[in-house]
Amino acid sequence: METQINPSKRWGGLGAAFVTFLVVFVLLMVIALVNAPTMGGSKVMSSVSSYLSEVRKTAIPFLVAVGIVALIVGGVAAVTVYKVWPDRRQRNNLLSAYGFIAPYLLITLIFTIGVILFAFYISFTNYDIFTTPQWVGLHNYTKAFAGFTDPSQKDFVQSLYNVFWYSLIVVPIQTALAIGLAMMLNASMRFKQFFRMIFYAPSVTSSVVITLIFMWFYLKTGYINFFFAKILGVVGIQWQNVNWLGDPRGLFQLIVTAFGGSISSDQWYLKGPSIAWMAIMFQNIFTTAPTFMLMFLAALQDISPTLNEAAKIDGANKWQIFWNLTLPLLRPIILLVVVLGTIGTLQVFDQVYLATQGGPLGTSQTPVYLIFTDALGKLGQIQMGFAAALAFILAVIIFVFTFIQRRFLERGTELY
Amino acid sequence: LSFAEGNTISFLIFISGTHNKGYLLNQFIMFNFGGDEMKNKNSIIFSMLLIFAMLISACSQATTGAPTTAAQTTQPSPTSASSSATSAPSAAGACPLKVEGEAKITFSGWGDATEQKIYRDSIDRFIQVCPGISVDYIPIPDKFQDKMIAQMAGGTAPDVFYVDAQLMSAFASTGQLLALDDYMKQAGVSANDFIPALMTEFQLNGKTYGLPKDWGTLGLIYLPEAFQQAGISEPTADWTWDDMRTAAKAIAAKGKYSGFCMGTDEARFAPFVFSNGGSYTSTDYKTATLDTPEVKTEAQFVADMFKEKSLVRPADIGASWCGEAIGKQLVGMTTEGGWMVNFMAQTYPNVQYKAVQIPKGPKTRADYIFTNALGVNASTKYPIASAALAIYITGEANQADIVKTGFAYSTHPDQAKLISNPIDQAISAGGLLPDSKVQYWGVNTGKVESSVSKALERVFLGDQTVDEAFKQAQQEVTTALSGQ
Repeated sequence: METQINPSKRWGGLGAAFVTFLVVFVLLMVIALVNAPTMGGSKVMSSVSSYLSEVRKTAIPFLVAVGIVALIVGGVAAVTVYKVWPDRRQRNNLLSAYGFIAPYLLITLIFTIGVILFAFYISFTNYDIFTTPQWVGLHNYTKAFAGFTDPSQKDFVQSLYNVFWYSLIVVPIQTALAIGLAMMLNASMRFKQFFRMIFYAPSVTSSVVITLIFMWFYLKTGYINFFFAKILGVVGIQWQNVNWLGDPRGLFQLIVTAFGGSISSDQWYLKGPSIAWMAIMFQNIFTTAPTFMLMFLAALQDISPTLNEAAKIDGANKWQIFWNLTLPLLRPIILLVVVLGTIGTLQVFDQVYLATQGGPLGTSQTPVYLIFTDALGKLGQIQMGFAAALAFILAVIIFVFTFIQRRFLERGTELY
Repeated sequence: LSFAEGNTISFLIFISGTHNKGYLLNQFIMFNFGGDEMKNKNSIIFSMLLIFAMLISACSQATTGAPTTAAQTTQPSPTSASSSATSAPSAAGACPLKVEGEAKITFSGWGDATEQKIYRDSIDRFIQVCPGISVDYIPIPDKFQDKMIAQMAGGTAPDVFYVDAQLMSAFASTGQLLALDDYMKQAGVSANDFIPALMTEFQLNGKTYGLPKDWGTLGLIYLPEAFQQAGISEPTADWTWDDMRTAAKAIAAKGKYSGFCMGTDEARFAPFVFSNGGSYTSTDYKTATLDTPEVKTEAQFVADMFKEKSLVRPADIGASWCGEAIGKQLVGMTTEGGWMVNFMAQTYPNVQYKAVQIPKGPKTRADYIFTNALGVNASTKYPIASAALAIYITGEANQADIVKTGFAYSTHPDQAKLISNPIDQAISAGGLLPDSKVQYWGVNTGKVESSVSKALERVFLGDQTVDEAFKQAQQEVTTALSGQ
């Protein structure tokens, strides 16, 4: 092949590769410049020249680091272009493909990738927006995990503990519930459309509105307590009203207390999810399950009825069909729902922000809420660097979980 | 942050159609798509390009500053000046400073319609005494602090704005607030003119970064009905916390009302602590003083009251806060502030309630003061005019007018007599006590407050003893104050 390319084409390829390299490199450097980690405030932001002089003062290491990355990326791009250049069809494909995604790519690079680079750099600094970021190395990362040894800094560790319980309880229940609802609506029944609408209603309602409604339900004098009192009153049991969203007693703590034991405050990690936290879990399941129901419903309607008929002829009963046929066929969707559910639960924020603000006693504290409070200095100084570090730790955790789930659930799905 | 902020705003202006460009766009779309469908895809591409160009120009215009917003917000001011003719003639005092000619400044604060009206009137009075200055009042009723931080970071913050504990710790030490001392000297205003406790929140390293605009404090609010029922005499201004406890026990024993309402909230606990000579931190906000007998004795006091059921939390009796518990007539007494007057008048107008000043403790009588200030943006174009506005609004003449509305207390000690409502008179007495402290614990205010509240919560829950809970709180606050 190489030998058949005429020299002018090779030179053209080299030229194109060089131009590509330049474009990618300059683009990345401009993006880095726009997102350079300088201090904010009117004095810096008032004009382009004041911003640039601040960049010169503080952001040179950042620009150098991005520059190295830009060299590598530019090199890769140049090699790609050089390889496809001699073949006219491949070349046109490549150029038109990148041409079409260029507008979106540019916006993503500036407003997402650039900001991620900025945040990553900031996570190694002490940064309060209005003064020059100071390099502190890994201090923010070690501080995040200081809670393991120092109970007075347990906020982040406790928030991780909380969301792990949240994922562990919410994801299986909402997935199972979604499959159940979807199976129900997929069966031939009367008023199917009506039930579809009713079941899906919680998901189309804003989660803010639902949270507000649930806050009323959960009041000590609210409907849920009223309901329990009435139901249990029939059996003759006196129901003690619970302040659902304000009760920090943990699940295991309740069990241990019922058997006459107790768990001290120092061993908060043995207490399990608190009543307040479980109340929020219930609300979340109620809101999210219907969304996933819709996905399962779509997948169920994709399953060919001939398979069901064949199984019936072979003598399978309904349960056998469900366990051995339907569920395996749903496996790719189950993976999707579990992964989406896990990511969503690890990032839970709005319910906490509206209903509990991380209380009672930090039992509904979540990483994202903690990032929010630290980044805006709700409890003291603005700690953008620390908040950025927490965000990256959370991102790594989510990545690891998703990876593990793919490894275990995706195995075998390609068969179908 | 700022860029996104500016973006959204200009986009909102853009789509709302108030912007003339929005109108143009509508016309264009009508012309292009509403007409015959013969226009081929070239025109669609062209229109997309045009939309894009307009978006960009809208963005660039918003970042250059005021023009777009000014056009919307300046207009109401003159009209409201003429409509609020009742307050306009009373504009008293002279312009505090010799201001720049033709200064244009912006002013932001939170607040509902009542507060906005009061500040519009104040601005009208200011414009009368300092002619030639135009003031854009931009109220931000929700998420004020978040918005201020974002605007400040992007260099688009208003010239004068409300400053609370959170903004004070974010802005003062980082040089975003203008030190007002020189301007105060020129205007003949001194920090001593204000109630001394208020100033402690807004001074840092001997410089003044904000002038207190109003304040509130706690008083003992009670239902006379509950006292009649229990057959005991009503509270008086010389009551002690022990008197309160005895009465609470008597009221709770009758069964119809609960005794005393208090949430697990540091703000309601503070008057107990101060009255025993205690405090949450040292006066320089560098050392935690929670694990001390002064604090723990008082924590034990409220914990014992809770145990003997003379003290209830609002959630225990089905109220979201203690003021509502008074309104619903569930409890005999609580400690609340001047906000009760409006709340009761609007929500529970038929409930009879009264107030006396905060009870006395073993060592002294002291109250907890909540206040906010007006601060000036350090990078304002018109520092003199901005400082003049802050000084005028918080000055004696204007504060006297605000007090008359019954909305807030004057920040000047000699104007306490202007307060007319008897409930407000009783409550506000606590603010002028020499040992009263303001709700501010240095840059880590939020952390200190949440640690104390959590300690109380653990005690009330029976999770920890007072000793254990406040030892833990002491550790938490020490860690926070060490700057780690």
